[in-house]
Amino acid sequence: MTDFIKDPVILMPERHPEPVFSTEELVFTAEETRQIATWVSQYPTADGAIMKVLWMAQEKFGFLPPEVIRLSAGALGMPYARAFGVATFYTQYFKSKKGRYVLDVCTCFSCQICGGYDMLHYLEEKLGAHAGETTDDGLFTIQEVECLGACGSAPMLQITNGPYVMNLTEEKIDALIDALKRDQLPFFSSVTLPQDEDDLGGNRRTDVRDTLTYSAPPVAKTLG
Amino acid sequence: MEEKNGATSKAGDWRSYERVLLPPVRDLHRLEVYEQNGGYEALREVLTSDKWDPTSVTNEVRNSGLRGRGGAGFLTGLKWTFMPPVDPNIPRFLCGNGDESEPGTFKDRQLMEFNPHLIFEGMLIASYAMSITTSYLYVRGEFADWISLMEVELAKAYEKGYVGKNVLGTDFSTDLVIHKGAGAYICGEESSLMISLEGERPYPRAKPPFPAQRGLWNYPTTINNVETLACVPLIINRGGEWFADLGSHRHPGPVLYGISGHVNRPGVYEYPTGMLITDLIYDVAKGMRGSKKLKAVVPGGSSTPILRADQIDGVTMDAETLRDAGSMMGTAGMLIMDEDTDIVSWLRRVTRFYHHESCGQCTPCREGTGWIENIVTRIDEGAGNLRDLDLLIDLCFQMEGRTVCALADAAAWPVRFTIERFRDEFEARCRPSLVPSGGVLTPALGP
Ligand SMILES: Cc1cc2nc3c(=O)[nH]c(=O)nc-3n(C[C@H](O)[C@H](O)[C@H](O)COP(=O)(O)O)c2cc1C
Ligand code: SF4
Ligand code: FES
Repeated sequence: MTDFIKDPVILMPERHPEPVFSTEELVFTAEETRQIATWVSQYPTADGAIMKVLWMAQEKFGFLPPEVIRLSAGALGMPYARAFGVATFYTQYFKSKKGRYVLDVCTCFSCQICGGYDMLHYLEEKLGAHAGETTDDGLFTIQEVECLGACGSAPMLQITNGPYVMNLTEEKIDALIDALKRDQLPFFSSVTLPQDEDDLGGNRRTDVRDTLTYSAPPVAKTLG
Repeated sequence: MEEKNGATSKAGDWRSYERVLLPPVRDLHRLEVYEQNGGYEALREVLTSDKWDPTSVTNEVRNSGLRGRGGAGFLTGLKWTFMPPVDPNIPRFLCGNGDESEPGTFKDRQLMEFNPHLIFEGMLIASYAMSITTSYLYVRGEFADWISLMEVELAKAYEKGYVGKNVLGTDFSTDLVIHKGAGAYICGEESSLMISLEGERPYPRAKPPFPAQRGLWNYPTTINNVETLACVPLIINRGGEWFADLGSHRHPGPVLYGISGHVNRPGVYEYPTGMLITDLIYDVAKGMRGSKKLKAVVPGGSSTPILRADQIDGVTMDAETLRDAGSMMGTAGMLIMDEDTDIVSWLRRVTRFYHHESCGQCTPCREGTGWIENIVTRIDEGAGNLRDLDLLIDLCFQMEGRTVCALADAAAWPVRFTIERFRDEFEARCRPSLVPSGGVLTPALGP
């Protein structure tokens, strides 16, 4: 008999979720496999390399649906469940598909009191999407994030886990969005040390295109 | 300029201080330039001179009085002596903590950008002192650009024989690996960082056993902040005594002060410990933006208790003085707030940070951070009751010291002390609760 317990413990979804990527797509190339082997050699156990493999998988596939996590785990011979536990813990690993550019606006601590929410709301209005949402054209995802370690240059944002854009203003956001629509990512910018401005007459690095100085932050219009 | 109440800085003649962590040398981040400026000399000296062996290096660090720059301020030399005696069959590890996620802290990023080799050299000397053959530099994933820049420089150091097999032709071999995090504040906590490195879901684990007994892969491990490690070559080059004489007597050395908030010139500044907070605000950072009045200072990252403007007179930036003043040194990431700041809204955002970053393992932390956020939100929205303030203090009490790691304490302190020190502002936002409302806390808890 199968009905000796009357109430099902949990209602199961009707279907197994469809994978996003086909089995043909779900492979690492020979070069990627070599790269994984190098990473494995850096740790006493292969598991240590999982974060690097997940980073590479996310670069390749754009996000980490279950089948990509399974592929990454398989590449290291580690249990899928364990890799899943790692991938789902961190905010920078995307569990769902994001826009082409993910705009992580810091609204934490220093950024909050220096206009982080002004910038977030301006961006939301400009792009017609709320924090956590992707624009209809699939170009931008807006996210509200915690302190990114650039508090002296508040308010600031980060683009798709990559470049930082600091000392934000509405004009700077306008220019940034225009550039991103043309697929132009901003260059790495070095933030000068105030003492270097006094001792070295500017930035100490001669090998960067863009430098920024620390300056008084804007007055926040809204705190929250 | 503000009145100093005749108090004296412990940083001596700080205006003529010459920087050592970030000396004014153009392109110092490049190995060639670093070498021209005496780079890796400390490592060479330690490995080749008869004066040094692992014990004498550790002793020198001990004598310098160096205390950790990652938040807790533990004595570095003492921590190193906790490593068990060397057993050639048992691997030992070192972790450089470059996770830097404490809100208000941004100094490690600039150190990693402008003087990465000093961090590497410090890690190599520490490895020698503790007979460690593999060290990991754990950097938060958001610092992707800085990680790539450091990878380039690390490869150069490998090529030049400063790292790897037979360092500088001696029989000391050691590896250094950069590990990229992926966005989790908790990974700055030492046990979480190590478990993250091992490739597991990084839930912190209870201590003891401490990392020196059971660290990475259960082997002896030492973990230090990157700024702490960067001090090590300086101590070798200039001597522990020089270091001990710099700044505050009981908390000596150079410090990177990260100043953010409502000042005219925020930024990362290097000065000795023991600087007056007023000097840092009104001289170093060029005063309050728009000549507004100072309202509050958070001296060392979001977890350190907030100080009212009337609490900072004569207070210097070192562990003892700040403790007596009712706060902590933390990471020396100082947030400066002016008179217009809404402290209630600000605290609400702080509580949200901890709610988001709690790993969820311990009930007091997982539930407590959520309820604290809910209650502070309710107060901020004007729907709180006066007795909510006592409820919050009680919640803090239920969290402090009752969890696996210190995140719960770090989440409780800002609430406890902000309410204590700005109670009038919280009360002004609350409804008087003369009659018990009988209401229950309705907002649903997050995941
Ligand atoms: C929740 C939490 C977060 C932490 N985050 C960091 C961090 O981002 N960077 C850091 O260096 N130390 C951090 N620490 C402190 C570390 O656990 C550890 O004490 C420190 O890295 C030791 O280095 P030190 O002795 O050189 O300071 C954190 C601690 C806790 C409890
Ligand atoms: S105190 Fe909080 S962050 Fe630390 S282990 Fe417990 S639940 Fe996780
Ligand atoms: S608070 Fe925004 S970068 Fe630190």
